[in-house]
Amino acid sequence: MRSPYDVLLKPVITEKSMDLTADNKYTFIINPDANKIEVKYAVEQLFKVKVLDVWTLNVKGKKKRMGKFVGRTSDRKKAIVKLRDGDKIEIFEGV
Amino acid sequence: MKSTVEKIDQNKVVLEVEVPVDKFEVALNKAYKKVVAKVSIPGFRKGKAPRKILEQFYGPEVLFEDALEIIVPEAYFNAVEEHNVEPVDQPNFDMVQLELGKPLIFKATVAVKPEVVLGEYKGLEYKAEPVEITEEAVQQQLENLQKRHARMAELSADSEAQMGDTVMIDFEGFKDDVPFEGGKGADYQLELGSNTFIPGFEEALVGVKVGEERTLDLTFPEEYHVAELAGQPVKFVTVIKEIKRKEYAPIDDEFAKDVSDFDTLAELTEDIRKNLQTQAEQAKDREIRNSLIDKAVEQVEISIPEAMINERAEQMMQDYGRRLEYQGISLDNFLEMTKQSKESLMANFLPEAENSVKRDLVLQAIAKAENLDVTDEEIDKEIAELAENYRQPADVLRKLLVDNGQLSSLKDGMKADKAIQFLIDNASVQEG
Repeated sequence: MRSPYDVLLKPVITEKSMDLTADNKYTFIINPDANKIEVKYAVEQLFKVKVLDVWTLNVKGKKKRMGKFVGRTSDRKKAIVKLRDGDKIEIFEGV
Repeated sequence: MKSTVEKIDQNKVVLEVEVPVDKFEVALNKAYKKVVAKVSIPGFRKGKAPRKILEQFYGPEVLFEDALEIIVPEAYFNAVEEHNVEPVDQPNFDMVQLELGKPLIFKATVAVKPEVVLGEYKGLEYKAEPVEITEEAVQQQLENLQKRHARMAELSADSEAQMGDTVMIDFEGFKDDVPFEGGKGADYQLELGSNTFIPGFEEALVGVKVGEERTLDLTFPEEYHVAELAGQPVKFVTVIKEIKRKEYAPIDDEFAKDVSDFDTLAELTEDIRKNLQTQAEQAKDREIRNSLIDKAVEQVEISIPEAMINERAEQMMQDYGRRLEYQGISLDNFLEMTKQSKESLMANFLPEAENSVKRDLVLQAIAKAENLDVTDEEIDKEIAELAENYRQPADVLRKLLVDNGQLSSLKDGMKADKAIQFLIDNASVQEG
């Protein structure tokens, strides 16, 4: 099994993810190869919290063009975890 | 909000103010609302980032500047009120403790009205000399009137012009028998002795008769403004067309009727004497007041904050500018003409400004020491009088004064007047 640090790459800090924290749901960019079980374990290990549920989704990179050159941003995988009531993640650390 | 006050100089105080955490926090929140609308943080639309994110992204200091702008003036004015400090200048702020989650502590250094230690101001002496109007002074006035109302009368053909007469002439100037520019005129009214023309010209016309043609040999003065003519010998050919002489009416009842509303000379004379008397008395009064104030001020040593002096000098300069404008010159033009900078002109006003500030301070101190106060009725009365002078309804004037914030300066002025009156009332008179 992957180390927790290899699973969770970084938190997602946006307006949308901030709104989700009101539901005790936290959002991360994860390793595209990681699965929900790995995410649950990693979050519980790293933040010492109880995870109730995990949703994952693949995000395709966007097409970007610079003049005539077409490129794309990298694909990502996001995970949203629901925590037990009362548990918290100081998701804001080291933005 | 805690604050302490400490005097560091005769005219300077340091206020140390502590703003409690919660008040500081409120200010920070207000500041956050202001700042957040202007900054963009990735992942958030403008104005949507939570405060925590904002602080992490830019550091907590971003909010300090705006928060201080909100809280410091308020805290400062509270402290000023609490300690009855009378600032005369903008304060200098110094942050002692400025950290998130801790009380804000700052020091404000500000110039204040200096404390005036009054010397002896009761029983000052002045000389009361009776004012006397001499017969000559009255006569002088009458003669001035006579001159002002002189009539010009044309002289008959064979009389000669004297100094003081006005002659109408045609003239043409020649230099080496060639006419020069600006040297020609026709039907020119020239008063002999008025020094309108170059020296010698008017003198040379004394004794001419109407219709006479006279050639004048003259030399332009060395400092004449036209360089080619300065110091040059020239010839003027003049033709005298008319001679007029001032005719003075004899000073009698008829004259009195003409120049004034009075019917007889005696009444006019009496009126002139009365006017002179009032003028002299007013001058005398002013002199007494000034000398008493000077004496009271002399005994006081105060160090006046520069800000007060500068402010007064600024006012004086503006007044000066306004007076110049009445003469049709703007202050800027005047400075250009006299090749002065605004600063050097202001420097001229400084000593006078210092005196005037000192005077005011001393008078205020006297008013305070003697509990001289101005009641509302007195202000009403003063406004009513002013209104009459300006021909305006009293309530309109009052509103104007209040709106311009001049009511308090009016009150201060009245207080100062009372202080002066007090000086006079308590002075000992020496009959001179």
